[in-house]
Amino acid sequence: MKHWLRAAGVLVFILALALAGCEKAPDKAAAPAAAGPKTGELKVGFVYTSPVGDAGYSWAHDQGRKAVEKMDGVKTSYVEAVKDGADAERVIENMARGGFDLVFATNFGFMDPTMKVAKDYPNVKFMHCSGFKSSENVSNYFGRIYQARYLTGITAGHMTKSNTIGYVAAFPIPEVIRGINAFTLGVRSVNPKAQVRVVWTKTWFDPALEKDAAVSLLDVGCDIIAQHQNSPGPQEAAQERGKYSIGYNSDMSSFAPKAHLTAAVWNWAPLYEATVKEVREGTWKGNRAIWWGMDKGAVDIAPFGPMVPKDVQDKVLAQKALLMKGEDKIFVGPIKDQGGQVKIAAGVKAEDKELLGMTWFVEGVVGSVQ
Amino acid sequence: MNLVIRKREKSLGWGVLVVYLVALALALFVCALLLTLSGKSGMGGLAILFRAAFGQGYSLLDSLVKAIPIFLCALGVALSFRMQVWNIGAEGQFALGAVGATWAALTFSGLPGFALMPLMFLCAMACGGAWGLLPAALRLRLGVSEIISSLMLNYIGILLLEYLVFGFWKDPASFGFPMTAEFSSGGQIARIAPGVLGKLHWGLLACPIAGVAYSVFLSRTRLGFELAACGEGERVARYAQLPYAFLVFLVMGLGGALAGLAGSIEISATVGRLQPTVMVGYGYTAIVVAWLARLRPWGIAFTAYLLAAFRVGAEVMQLEMQVPAAIGPIMEGLILLCVLAGQFFLTYSVSLGRAPKPEAACPGGNGAEEARP
Amino acid sequence: MSPELVIALLAAAVQAGTPILFATLGEIISEKAGVLNLGVEGVMALSAFAAFITCHLTGSAWLGLLAGGMAGTLLCGLHSLVCQVFLGNQVVSGLALTLFGVGLATFLGTPYVGQSTEGFAKIALPLLSDLPVLGPIFFRHDVLVYLCYASPVAVWFLLNRTSLGLGLRAAGEMPAAAAAAGLKPQRLRAFGVMAGGFLCGLGGAYLSLAHTHLWTTGLSGGRGWVAVALVIFAFWRPGRAVIGAFLFGSVMAFQLRLQATGTNVPSSLLLMLPYALTVIVLVFSAARARRSGAPAALGVNIEPED
Repeated sequence: MKHWLRAAGVLVFILALALAGCEKAPDKAAAPAAAGPKTGELKVGFVYTSPVGDAGYSWAHDQGRKAVEKMDGVKTSYVEAVKDGADAERVIENMARGGFDLVFATNFGFMDPTMKVAKDYPNVKFMHCSGFKSSENVSNYFGRIYQARYLTGITAGHMTKSNTIGYVAAFPIPEVIRGINAFTLGVRSVNPKAQVRVVWTKTWFDPALEKDAAVSLLDVGCDIIAQHQNSPGPQEAAQERGKYSIGYNSDMSSFAPKAHLTAAVWNWAPLYEATVKEVREGTWKGNRAIWWGMDKGAVDIAPFGPMVPKDVQDKVLAQKALLMKGEDKIFVGPIKDQGGQVKIAAGVKAEDKELLGMTWFVEGVVGSVQ
Repeated sequence: MNLVIRKREKSLGWGVLVVYLVALALALFVCALLLTLSGKSGMGGLAILFRAAFGQGYSLLDSLVKAIPIFLCALGVALSFRMQVWNIGAEGQFALGAVGATWAALTFSGLPGFALMPLMFLCAMACGGAWGLLPAALRLRLGVSEIISSLMLNYIGILLLEYLVFGFWKDPASFGFPMTAEFSSGGQIARIAPGVLGKLHWGLLACPIAGVAYSVFLSRTRLGFELAACGEGERVARYAQLPYAFLVFLVMGLGGALAGLAGSIEISATVGRLQPTVMVGYGYTAIVVAWLARLRPWGIAFTAYLLAAFRVGAEVMQLEMQVPAAIGPIMEGLILLCVLAGQFFLTYSVSLGRAPKPEAACPGGNGAEEARP
Repeated sequence: MSPELVIALLAAAVQAGTPILFATLGEIISEKAGVLNLGVEGVMALSAFAAFITCHLTGSAWLGLLAGGMAGTLLCGLHSLVCQVFLGNQVVSGLALTLFGVGLATFLGTPYVGQSTEGFAKIALPLLSDLPVLGPIFFRHDVLVYLCYASPVAVWFLLNRTSLGLGLRAAGEMPAAAAAAGLKPQRLRAFGVMAGGFLCGLGGAYLSLAHTHLWTTGLSGGRGWVAVALVIFAFWRPGRAVIGAFLFGSVMAFQLRLQATGTNVPSSLLLMLPYALTVIVLVFSAARARRSGAPAALGVNIEPED
C-alpha cells in the first residue's frame, strides 16, 4: 500500500515537471525587442561572486550599483555569494526571466554561464567583467586597476628604506598577478634595487590570516606592505610595527592613519552609469571589450598620507597626469620575468589579451607564482 | 502534576508528518522574525521563498538539478551513519571524485562518450572511495576518530584539487584562470531535453539507481542486516561476532564512492571542466539531509529536494528583497535544530500527569530502577 | 632562518594559537562533561561579531569580551537544549550550530562590514618583556594573550581539583552512576557545554578585538574546526592543549614566513601543512588517546527512564 502511494507521488512529480517544461517553452521564443530607446523603468541586475560584506571586490561593485540605483527610472537588484557554474547560470537566467533589461556579471567565472543564458534571451543585455567572450548581446568590461597599482608602486619605491616591500595577495589569478607586476614595475621605475616579496593567503575572507601574512613579511625585513586582499588586516599590521602600508579597493586610511601612504581604488560608478545610459538611449552594442582606466575615472589612487613628502607626491602625480591623458606605458618592453628572460620585447606594448592572461612575475618579484 | 516522559511503544504513523511540519514551520517562523527585525517583510519573504522554490515549473527543475549531488552524497553518508560511523568527509570525497573524473576526461579525451563516461565514473568512484577508506583505516588500525580525520581530509582534498587546477591542469586557453580545459563532448553529460526540461541532465539517472541499490542492500542482503545490527555500537557488534571492521571499510568506501560519483556528475554536467568553485559545500549539506531524513532513501530524496529548493528560493529572495545570502545557512541550521528537537516526540510521549515518583519526572532520570511506572 | 626570525615566528605562533587555545579549552570542558560540540566554528563566528558590535557601540573592549563570551554561552545553550532536553544527536546538532552561527554572524554583521573598533592594544609587560628570547615571544602581546596563559591552569583546576569538576567528569564518564550518587548529570552537562561555550566565545572575541580590530565576514576562518581536532590531540588535557595550539600556530606562521623569504613551493601545498599535521599527530597520539582521556559517555545522550 505504502509503495503504491510513493510511486503515485513520484508520477505526479514527473508529470508536474513535464507540464512545467511545456509551460516554459513559449516565453523563450519571444522575438528580440527592436533596438531603440527603452522607455519605462529599467531593471538592472548585478551578480556577485562573494558576499557584499567582503568589504572588497564585490563591495566595490556594489558601490557602483548604488550609484546606478540613484539614477532616474532605474531599479537595481543583486544576488551575492554566487558560485561559478550551475548556480551562476540559474541566477543569471532568473534575472533574464524576471524582466531585467541589463545584467552585470562581475566575475570571470560567470563567463560561460553568461554566454549560455545570453543565447536564450536575446533581448536582455549582458555585461561580463574581466572575460573575453562576447556576442550580439554580451559585452566585456574591466577596469585598469593596474594603473593605480603602478602609481602606488612609485610611491612605495620612493618611501622604502630597506628596499624590500611586502605584498599580501589572495589567489594566483591573472588579475592579482597583473597587479603585483604593475606595482613592481612602478617600484623599480624609481628604485631599481628594490624587490617585492609575495605571500599568498589563498583566501578572501580571513582578516586574521591576512594580518599574520603581513606580519611575516614585516619579520623578513619589509618596510612597506601592499595588498591584494579585501580586509584592512595587513594595514593594521603595518601600523602596529610603525611601518608603512598601501591599501586596496577603497581608501583604507581610517584603519591605519599613521601607516597608510595611499591606496589603489576602484570606482565602478562612472562605467555603470554610462552603460545604463547607453541602454536607455538604445546605443548599447554587444561584442565590445570596454576597459576603462584612470582617464575615465574607473580607477584612482587615494589621497596621500601626511608622511609622503611633497616631492614624492609631485612625482607620482606627474605620472598620474600622463595616465589621465591616456598615455599608458606601464607594460611597454623591455620587461623581463623572474628568471631574467625578456617577456615583452623592447618598445612593444603588451596587448590587453596578454594582460588578461598574465601568469608570470616580472623581475624583482620574490615568490612563487602558484 | 508533572511532565511524564515515556518511550513510545508504537510508531506515530501520520503523526511523524505533523511533527516534521511543526518543526519546519517553527524554523521558518524564526527566519521570518529575523527578516522582520532587519526591516524586511518576514511573511513577504516566505511567500517569495515558496513561490520561487515551488511556484514555477522551471524552479522545480532547477531544484531537481541541484538536488542530484546532494542526494548522492547524502546516501553515502547515510550508509555510514547507519552503523554509527561518522563520516563527515563527503566534501573531500566529492572533491577527489571530481579530480578522478577530470584525470580520466583529460587523459582519454579522444574516447567516445560511451567509453569515456563510464571510465570517468569509475575513476571518480575509486578516488572518492579511497579518500573514504583512509579515515576508516585510521580508525580501525590506530583508533583515530573518523570525525576529525575525515574532516581534515576535506581540507586536504580541496587544497589538492586547487593545487592541480592552479598547477599543471590549468588550461592554457583560460587566460591563467584556475580551470582545466573543457572536457571533450564525450566527457560531458548531456541535458535530457533542453527545450522542455530545462537544465535537467542525464546524471539524474544515477539517483534512482543508487537509491534502489541502497534500499535493496539494506533490506535484502545479509551484509545489510549485519550493518543495521552494527548500529547498536561497536561493542555489541563485536560481541555478536559481526564483521565489524569489514563493514566499516565497506560503508566508508561506498560512501566515498557515492560522493565521488556526485562530484564527477556535477563537474561533467554543469560546468564541463574542473574549477575550484565546484566546491559549494554539498558534502556538508548531505549530512544535514541524511539526518533529517532519518537515513531512509525516500526521505533523503525528499529532503535533498526540499533543501535544494530552499537554496534556489533563497536566491530569488535576495534578488527581490535584497536579503543577505546568509539567510540560506541560517534557515538550514534552524530547520535542522528544530527537527532534531522534534524527533524527540517521535520516540517519546510527553503527557501531563502525576508521576509515580518525583525522580521519574526529570528527563535523564536518576537511574533509579523503581521509578518505572 | 636567522635567530631573530625564529623568535618572530614563535611570537606570531603565540598570537595565532591564542584563539584556538581558548576554543580548545572550551571544547575540552564540554567533552569532559560528555557532550561533543561540533558547533565551535559557529560559536566563534557569532561571538566574534557580538564582541565587535558591543565594543563598537559602547567603546569598552572589556564589555565586548564579555558579550563575546555570553554569545558563546547562549549559542551553546541552544546545543544543550537540543541535546540534553530533546535528546537530539550531538554530531548533527553541532553541525547545525555551525551553519546557524556562521550564517547569523554574517546576516547581522553585513551593515557593519569594514568598520573598525578600538579593542585591546598590545601591552609589553614590564621587566618580563625585557627578558632575552622569552620576552619578545611571550610578553609583548595584548592582555587577552596573558589571560590565555592563565586559562589552561584554571580549566585544569576546575576539572581536577573541584567537586564541580568531579561532577562534570562523572557526567561524561558514567552518567547513570553519577545520578545514582545523587548528582544531576543533565544539569552538569548543560553547565559544561555552556561554560565551554563561554571560553569558545572568548576565542571568537579575541579575533575581532585583539588579533584584528575590525569586522568582516569569515573572521573565524576554520579555527573552530581546528580546535575540535586539537581536543583529541590533547587527550582532553588542558596542558597538552597548550602544546597543540602553539604547534598549530607555529606551523601556520612557519608556512607564511617560508613564502615571505621566497620559496618556489606552491602555496596550496604549504597551506595543507596544518591540516596534514593534525592528521599525522592524531595518528601518533590516537592509540594513547583511546586509553587515556576520552570520556566514556562522550556523544551519548542520557535517556530518560520511564
